Amino acid sequence: MDAVLRAGAMYIALMVLFRVAGRRSLSDLTTFDFVLLLIIGEATQQALLGDDFSFTNAVLVISTLIVLDVGLSLIKVRSTRAARLLDGHATVVVEDGRFLRGRMRRCRLTEDDIMESARANQGVERVAQIKYAIVERNGKISVIMRDDAEGEGE
Amino acid sequence: MAMEQDEVSREFPIREDVRMQRRVWRFERIGWYVLVAVVIAALAGVFGNGPASHRTVTSTDGRVEVEYARFSRNGAAEHVDIRVKGAPDAQVKLLLDGPMFRDLTVESMQPQPMASVSQGRALLLHLKTDADGIARLYLSLRNDSVGSIVGKARVGSGSAVRFATFVYP
Repeated sequence: MDAVLRAGAMYIALMVLFRVAGRRSLSDLTTFDFVLLLIIGEATQQALLGDDFSFTNAVLVISTLIVLDVGLSLIKVRSTRAARLLDGHATVVVEDGRFLRGRMRRCRLTEDDIMESARANQGVERVAQIKYAIVERNGKISVIMRDDAEGEGE
Repeated sequence: MAMEQDEVSREFPIREDVRMQRRVWRFERIGWYVLVAVVIAALAGVFGNGPASHRTVTSTDGRVEVEYARFSRNGAAEHVDIRVKGAPDAQVKLLLDGPMFRDLTVESMQPQPMASVSQGRALLLHLKTDADGIARLYLSLRNDSVGSIVGKARVGSGSAVRFATFVYP
């Protein structure tokens, strides 16, 4: 019983904490972010297992986590509302070569972040070349370029 | 104009729900403040080991004084320091009662009492007082339960002290 409760409570606590952290925080993993993730894992491990390092306990904890995770994804498939609540939304942050600054500020994104992603993925040089930049649910920035004809009309 | 653009839900290239998104942003912002508050509370000792957690209680006649932690965490060690006043170079009988001493594991007891006897479900300790008539007992307990745990220390009928520790899971 203990193992299931521990795993369940930790799953919920982590979900809430990571929702507070927002989608930006752990998406583009820098070395530091990676180390941070390891530390979070380390801190979680103790609370998950307690002082019971038995094989059975580990299997119980892992089973509980998988049951919860698969259960949630099943709920998400059934209900769009639940999916949006749990996973968040994608947000447009550049539209027709224009930064939407209010949204960027709330997403904690700078122009540099967006242009960096645009250069890396699409070879974009100027913001005018971007048709749409979208912050995806996992925090990655997708960039859709303008068609050439449109770009020249600018 | 730009702000207005921000408020409009796009249908293309993705279907947006700005109202919901704003709620998410607000949740993130409030959540951040809540976490800051939690960290500050933790520094103050609300979750154990800090100034807000350290307590001292004294019995009405001042014979028993107990220093303990108001908050503690499951699996952590808890220190209880008990100070008893009696006649110089004599013995005092200290009765430790309550769930704290029944349910928690006593890891160490310093100095060793001269005698340790059970009395009902309580523990009766014979302590030796020093030249000033004071006997001290340092207890280290292991918290293996959760919730509020009460302990009682008593010397004679008039000198009783009741103290409670809240143990976080």
